[in-house]
Amino acid sequence: MSSVLDVVLSSAFLAAALRIATPYLLAALGGLVAERAGISNIALEGQMLSAACTGALVAGYSGSVTVGALCGVAVATLLGVLLAALRLELGADAIIAGIGLNLLASGGTAYAVYSLLDDKGGTSGLKSGSLPTVTLPGVENVPVLGDVVSGQNMVTWLAFLAAPFVAWLFYRTRFGFHLRAVGEMPDAAASVGIAVRRVQYTGLALSGALAGLAGVFLSMGYVSFFVRDMTAGRGFIALAAVFLGGMRPWGVFLAALGFGAAEALAVQLGSLDVPPQLVSTIPYAMTLVALALYAWRRKRRGRVVPTAASL
Amino acid sequence: MRYGRSAAVVVTGMLALTACGGSGDMDDSGAASSGKPRIKLVINGGLGDKSFFDSAYAGLRRATKDLGYQLKVVELGSDRTKWEPGFEDAASADDYDILAAGTFDVTDYIGKLAPEFPDKKFWVFDAPVDYSGKNGACSNKCENVYSVTFKQNEGGYLAGFLAEKLVAAKALKGAESLKKVGVMGGVKIPLIEDFVVGFTSGFRAAGGKKSDVLVQYVGGDKPFGDPARGKEISTAMYGQGAALVWPVAGLSGLGTFESAVTAKRYAFGVDSDQYQTLSDQAQKNTVVTSILKNVGNALYQAAQDDQKGSLKYGAVSSVGLAEDAVGYVNDDHFKELVPETIRTEVQEAADKVKSGSVTVPSAL
Repeated sequence: MSSVLDVVLSSAFLAAALRIATPYLLAALGGLVAERAGISNIALEGQMLSAACTGALVAGYSGSVTVGALCGVAVATLLGVLLAALRLELGADAIIAGIGLNLLASGGTAYAVYSLLDDKGGTSGLKSGSLPTVTLPGVENVPVLGDVVSGQNMVTWLAFLAAPFVAWLFYRTRFGFHLRAVGEMPDAAASVGIAVRRVQYTGLALSGALAGLAGVFLSMGYVSFFVRDMTAGRGFIALAAVFLGGMRPWGVFLAALGFGAAEALAVQLGSLDVPPQLVSTIPYAMTLVALALYAWRRKRRGRVVPTAASL
Repeated sequence: MRYGRSAAVVVTGMLALTACGGSGDMDDSGAASSGKPRIKLVINGGLGDKSFFDSAYAGLRRATKDLGYQLKVVELGSDRTKWEPGFEDAASADDYDILAAGTFDVTDYIGKLAPEFPDKKFWVFDAPVDYSGKNGACSNKCENVYSVTFKQNEGGYLAGFLAEKLVAAKALKGAESLKKVGVMGGVKIPLIEDFVVGFTSGFRAAGGKKSDVLVQYVGGDKPFGDPARGKEISTAMYGQGAALVWPVAGLSGLGTFESAVTAKRYAFGVDSDQYQTLSDQAQKNTVVTSILKNVGNALYQAAQDDQKGSLKYGAVSSVGLAEDAVGYVNDDHFKELVPETIRTEVQEAADKVKSGSVTVPSAL
């Protein structure tokens, strides 16, 4: 048991938790924005995947990681807009359209990589590089804190800044107020003159952009290449974090961080003499416990939670 | 609005179709009806893994060039729910003479399909079908199925033996003070365990302690296709003092070489020569050797034997070091990193396994 405690208190574990939480954090905040705008963005996974693929390919061909990352985020943003268009213009079910987009991303990225590089596995044959890490002068040499915080990828920093940004957007800006109103009751919002569609399009674009940043982190920060279906279900875990976090920015932030910590724990405990099957259930067991706690608390307070109203 | 809804359904349906549409891939070398035996390689996954399936494909390609076979490849993708119908379609089409497929996952499908198509031949690599015919499979005793399995435990044995010798001799530059080594498997299944069991026994045979072998599994949604998670686990292993890590986890292993560069440590490749398949020089430099599993050679051999009529259907053949189906890369880079005494010792260990004087324990 003491070795488990050692692991949890080690700087390697804390640094890993921040790293692993990064894509969850960004994608979950993206999912949150869409959910509160009244359109469930189940295509987070596909948006991440497309961004990861575009980022690595463009960076490889242009020689610039910045251009690659921007293109990756742009493609995911467009997919967000496309989902909104399918829902708003054609009246499609957001869930079905989202599943369609995920399939499109999975097949489309594999096809793009194969036609450009003649490789069916990924872009590991293409030198695309990674986004820079941030070292803080001064903090670097502080024990523990320096190891944990300094040297993290810049996207990890952006992920942690994204949470206060979304909170500010929701509760301190006119757009955020409109977004929440539209998500809660679109007809009422329209009756007081809010441009419902424009708000939803903007929300879904922002949602896609955040998921795109998560995807770019996978292929240009975590590792420096794209591999077919490399998101490996992270978009869906992020979606779980949206609901686990009670659809509030700081709740979602904590939930995503919790998933990151649970997975980091599984990684660090993996080599101890604990059965791997048991270790790999940690994140899921934690989700169940957290959901149960959340439901219990809600029942006691009798509080109403906002839901996506327009499905 | 009603019109809009149906239009949306159509659009979504089209998106879905483009994504999962058939991926049949003709690879015709030669005229269609020339009476050449036609092999159909059905892959429950995709090409481009730079190891297992690519090796199988390369071996069969060689058979088309040298032996006059025709080859057609069908990739079923990583979605398991599409595998069974995919195999049924592939087997019921009359455009092949030999259907080749690999991994443990396909044995049930082939066991069921082979009796339905008694005029066709089936080759299963890396796992045997259940010839005894339990659970309704192999109702004809699978007498038209040839299975070939690999003694990956023998490759693992050499990897473990080499790892301990390198660590004990402090031969790895920059990792002289470290005693531990790591193995990162995809998931804990018997086939992967076979690599691990072999590794541990080789490590001990060379004088190492079992507790110095760190073993961990990628797991999760895509255990063989999640390089980010592979990198995280390898980083943790290097952090716990592993001088080298051996990934046995398909594309997840690509993450290991990146973390080896960051940690300034070492790695072994698996299945194919990863010094050759990696493109980044810094990553290449971390690869001491690769433990080979020559799936392609075994299939080429099968093609050759089948032509002579000597391929044994209705039975499993198990190939290892002695048949050159398993081995390690002994190139200039290996010679540069590994001192000559150790190279000789590893060669001797391999010879002992080949001659049968050492039997490597197995997880199968």
